[in-house]
Amino acid sequence: MDQETVRTICYLARLEIDEEKSEKIQNDLETIIELIGSLQNIDTSDTEPLFSPLEMTAFKHEDIENSDNRKDKFLENAAASNEDYFLVPRVVE
Amino acid sequence: MSIQFKSITELRAMLDDKSISSSELIQESLQLAKKYKELNCFVTMNEKISVKKASSIDLNEKTNSTLSGIPLAQKDLFCTEGLRTTCSSKILSNFIPPYTATAVEKLEDAGSITIGKTNMDEFAMGSSNETSFFGNVHNPWKKGYVPGGSSGGSAAAVSAGIVPAATGTDTGGSIRQPAAHCGITGLKPTYGRVSRWGMIAFASSLDQAGPLARTAEDCAILLNAMSGHDSKDTTSLNSNVPDFLENINQPIDGLKIGIIKEFDISDLDTDVQACFEDSKKNYESLGAQFVEVSLPNISASVPTYYSIAPAECSSNLSRFDGVRFGHRAENTNDLNDLYIKSRSEGFGDEVKRRILIGTYALSAGYYDAYYKKAQQVRRLIKNDFDDVFKSVDLLMTPTSPNTAFKFGSKGTQNPVELYLEDLFTISSNLAGLPAISIPHGQVNSLPVGLQLIGNFLREDQLLNASHIFQKNSDFHLAKPNLEDF
Repeated sequence: MDQETVRTICYLARLEIDEEKSEKIQNDLETIIELIGSLQNIDTSDTEPLFSPLEMTAFKHEDIENSDNRKDKFLENAAASNEDYFLVPRVVE
Repeated sequence: MSIQFKSITELRAMLDDKSISSSELIQESLQLAKKYKELNCFVTMNEKISVKKASSIDLNEKTNSTLSGIPLAQKDLFCTEGLRTTCSSKILSNFIPPYTATAVEKLEDAGSITIGKTNMDEFAMGSSNETSFFGNVHNPWKKGYVPGGSSGGSAAAVSAGIVPAATGTDTGGSIRQPAAHCGITGLKPTYGRVSRWGMIAFASSLDQAGPLARTAEDCAILLNAMSGHDSKDTTSLNSNVPDFLENINQPIDGLKIGIIKEFDISDLDTDVQACFEDSKKNYESLGAQFVEVSLPNISASVPTYYSIAPAECSSNLSRFDGVRFGHRAENTNDLNDLYIKSRSEGFGDEVKRRILIGTYALSAGYYDAYYKKAQQVRRLIKNDFDDVFKSVDLLMTPTSPNTAFKFGSKGTQNPVELYLEDLFTISSNLAGLPAISIPHGQVNSLPVGLQLIGNFLREDQLLNASHIFQKNSDFHLAKPNLEDF
């Protein structure tokens, strides 16, 4: 894994790594990828992936209308909001 | 009479015979939390509300729930309405949830009182509680030593006798390993047994909530209250929940316990090995039979886990963007800059490392090689368990390859060194199976844990085998002396 790949992954994950930590992170990622890479030696040619230990169809809710409006409560946790919306830096000029 | 180190069963008896009131019990538990503040078990206390709840329980004479008035601590990963919930991360350091997790709600509905939220590895990512934004938790048995992780604060609070029990979550061993390092009992239930609703997700197909307590009997009491179907969690099992206390005292004559051939315990510290051999003898004297079994793919559990868990974590943690809740960076140029700076300032190094690994494993070109491959190996591991449970009731392994270690002594140069702490615990998360850790000895005055793994939904067998062991031994009664705190 080279520095360019690390930069690309960082961007995809919306993370910034301090310059002085970048080499350490690169080494750590290489070590972990090497660990995960050891799975390549296992024959899985006829094996379906197991994404969840339950393998059941997700339980569905009854579609019941709920008039409980907790907008104010949810907006309270935002760093910036007005009475209706979360506020973010301007997106459209 | 002090309430420190008392089990739920003992405290219930004290409450019932009026030798203590619920208010006195809660006050003393809060006092103990203050006295042992240096352990750093708690991130946030819930003093006012717990005192109020206790006094209302005292006023209401009619109490028929075992947990009524019992102080508990909740891992700071369960959302608690109106009570700060941080996941021990800077990014959630100001988060006040608008709702309560089902598992906590059920425990509180049964009358228990949440005295505080416990410290943990940030977002449950760690095996030593050293990744918390709020600092390390000390092991009550030895200052400067890790309590294990990620539920390190919960384990330390129970071990120090501040509360009789606490909640934890277990994604790769995060209940069992800290329970082992702190000399208490910790149970990871079957995946789907306890609702995940309101638990801040790390790896959704592996995370499971469960109890940490002084005894298997107390774990059964908590599990009785926490279990059950929850329509708010699509992976919650809709199956019958037995009374886990009912059969806990059954004799274990003829119980078949498998020893996993692929886990070579001769590689471990000789004293840890000796504890394991002694426990085998103990179980044999109680009527259990041992057979060697093979799980050919179990050695691949660690790499499998470290592909799947980071992948799920990178997806789950994408919700932390500084917009709707949590830390938001200041002086940002645009929306993308706000995301990047808020996340980069808010997450610690281990969380970042796992998000990056997960992002890599899920990215185009690597998905099949890393993520899909790991999920295929996961099926092989689960198939191996299905096969061995045709011939044995339980499996027995050490919980951890070693006892608690010094702060900073593992994983600083190479993160994989710390990942191997979970060698014995990870496979049951991959397969969704229940597993328990019970204390079974000490090495250099530090506790050693024994793990039992059960078949799907057979927590009753785990609790029964653990309770019978505890009835016939006194390892679970050992207490740290705490004089350094």
